[in-house]
Amino acid sequence: MKRKSLLIAAAAAVAFWSGSAVAQSTIKIGVITDRTGNARFYAEPVLSGIRLAAKHINANGGLLGKKIELVIEDDGNKPDVSASKAQKLIDAGVVAIISNSSSTSSQQAQNTTIKTLTPHVTHNGSDSLTRKLKHSCFFQIGPLGSIQIKTLMSYARAKNYKRVALVTDNSALGQIIAKFFKIFLIKSGVKVVVEQVIPAGSKSALPQMQKVRAAKPEAIFQAGILSREMVLFFRAYHQLGLKQQILGSFNLSIPSYLRTAKGLMEGVAFIDAYDPRKPEVQAFIKVYTKEHGKKPYSLPAYGYDDLGVLVQAIKRAGSTDKVKVCAALKATHKWVGVLAAKGTSYSFAKGRAGYPVEGAVVRLIKNNDHGPVVHSGTK
Amino acid sequence: MADLLELLVSATASGCVYGLIALAYLLVLRPTGVINFASGEWAMMGAYAAYVISDAGGLPPILAIPAAALVLAIIGWLTEWLTVRPLVERGAGHLAPILALLGMLVIYHQVVLLSFSEDQYPLDGPFGFGRIEFGLLAGSYQDFFIVGATIAIFIGFWLFFERTVWGRSFEAVAINRRAAALMGINLRMVTALSFAGAAAIAATAGVLDSPRGSVEANMSLPLAVQGFSALIIGGINRVEGALLGGIVLAFAEDLTRRYAPIPSGLALGVTPVLLITFLLVLPNGILRAKEAK
Repeated sequence: MKRKSLLIAAAAAVAFWSGSAVAQSTIKIGVITDRTGNARFYAEPVLSGIRLAAKHINANGGLLGKKIELVIEDDGNKPDVSASKAQKLIDAGVVAIISNSSSTSSQQAQNTTIKTLTPHVTHNGSDSLTRKLKHSCFFQIGPLGSIQIKTLMSYARAKNYKRVALVTDNSALGQIIAKFFKIFLIKSGVKVVVEQVIPAGSKSALPQMQKVRAAKPEAIFQAGILSREMVLFFRAYHQLGLKQQILGSFNLSIPSYLRTAKGLMEGVAFIDAYDPRKPEVQAFIKVYTKEHGKKPYSLPAYGYDDLGVLVQAIKRAGSTDKVKVCAALKATHKWVGVLAAKGTSYSFAKGRAGYPVEGAVVRLIKNNDHGPVVHSGTK
Repeated sequence: MADLLELLVSATASGCVYGLIALAYLLVLRPTGVINFASGEWAMMGAYAAYVISDAGGLPPILAIPAAALVLAIIGWLTEWLTVRPLVERGAGHLAPILALLGMLVIYHQVVLLSFSEDQYPLDGPFGFGRIEFGLLAGSYQDFFIVGATIAIFIGFWLFFERTVWGRSFEAVAINRRAAALMGINLRMVTALSFAGAAAIAATAGVLDSPRGSVEANMSLPLAVQGFSALIIGGINRVEGALLGGIVLAFAEDLTRRYAPIPSGLALGVTPVLLITFLLVLPNGILRAKEAK
């Protein structure tokens, strides 16, 4: 009995010692992602970008002489779970946290990271994320919703549209995007001649699209996000022989639509944060394609830049001390990542949302793929 | 006028999908008295099965429909065997099988979510995507195919119930289980077949509907709600009531969205309003039960 107890104690000591050794040789970065909830469809590709960045950095000497260790937690895109997962990651000794589900989940996780002043970054685009809490170490890396909409409006202005249709679905995000589309359209002097909602669970969008056709708009703004309802929209558009230009939100940059609405999206204009004209994008495409055997879209690049921004700050801080990392993040200036239009760069000098105002682009769908950039910036 | 006729073709196709789900409810409800809210999940699983069969298995879409129906028939039979039958044989209350099937609904949904890496998949229809005109009537290939396939299925079921001894035994069980058992009808077999048949029909509905949109886990709940509403509207006593209820519901939805002077988002309320109205005013549905022969 005594011998057995000794063996257990020895095994525990070895386990503790080896665990400490591992902890000392790595820098832990926490990731709160959605692997089981309704944000999974974009969170998973973003996570693949975070993993790729970690692998790439580790293969090139690591960070401060140590390997990066990703500690990944699934919040199922549930805000309350996100907050508790943030605490779990902090308890596990992470240096910083990346939030990769929805804006509401990131918002809740901030309630936890603010207490310990843990560096916290996200690519989520809600404009209010850095406004609700005075969390001096929370930074937004992705393009804000307002930047995306202003960019699309700038493109619409260039096209001189005067009468447009606005179509969305009944998802919360779809409704918000439609609301902002409408506000910005009216501000731009464009008349919304018809507004239609394709509710989740619809079997056809023919009634809505017949109304759109009857209103004779010059272009159709599509603010929806639900995949199935998006396919119904495109099917009805083609079935009714409509020819108007469709302008979509950043959600159309998610490649799953190309699969489910295959061949139906030709010529659609959509917002993206990914400019294939940039050398950084070309380098990223090379690395990603080598790793995964397929070409990436913008989503993995969000994850790649999330970790990229953190790592450059930790390098400049020369330490994993949270206060120093926060200061280094705040001092980030003219950092060029994979995302953002050619000639623009990230900077947190004017606030905690660092994506360049002129960094979003408008691209067209061509040959059932994300095609060329046809417009850049908000002017 | 052309708009209206094209809309009616589309609405009839939607109504056929609702009618098939209502039939799946009916096939379980009549002989067992159990309302199976997992019918929507069966439709969704059928769509996933068809996707796997046609994408990985390389089977043409037209053959993927019966193949998916067969897969779901086995799942339906297993569901009855593993969850409903033990409860019935142990004398559990009337509510127990309904709750057990609600539990299965959650299990089905999560298994599908965890088994597939992507959230949406495309499913091709047998004739692809295109528009066809028959005189004044116009619609997509898939819409016309859904209508044709549904009519064939309903005629098949009507003939089965009206013209075959097996069909009559189902009806006998529906009228009085105890008397049917005393007459020598195998209740176990009838119940098992009703679950297998219902799952196959629900799967067919899911496979027919998916080429209009996509295959995704979230398609199940609206189908379950719309199918159940169609059942209540058409009447729970007649096979043809399921189809009638589906078509009435789809016409109400689409005509409201197209012509009612309300924001299109509010048209979402058509289904619950119609369901509540029928429950209050015409609880037996449009078609009344036939006199027992």
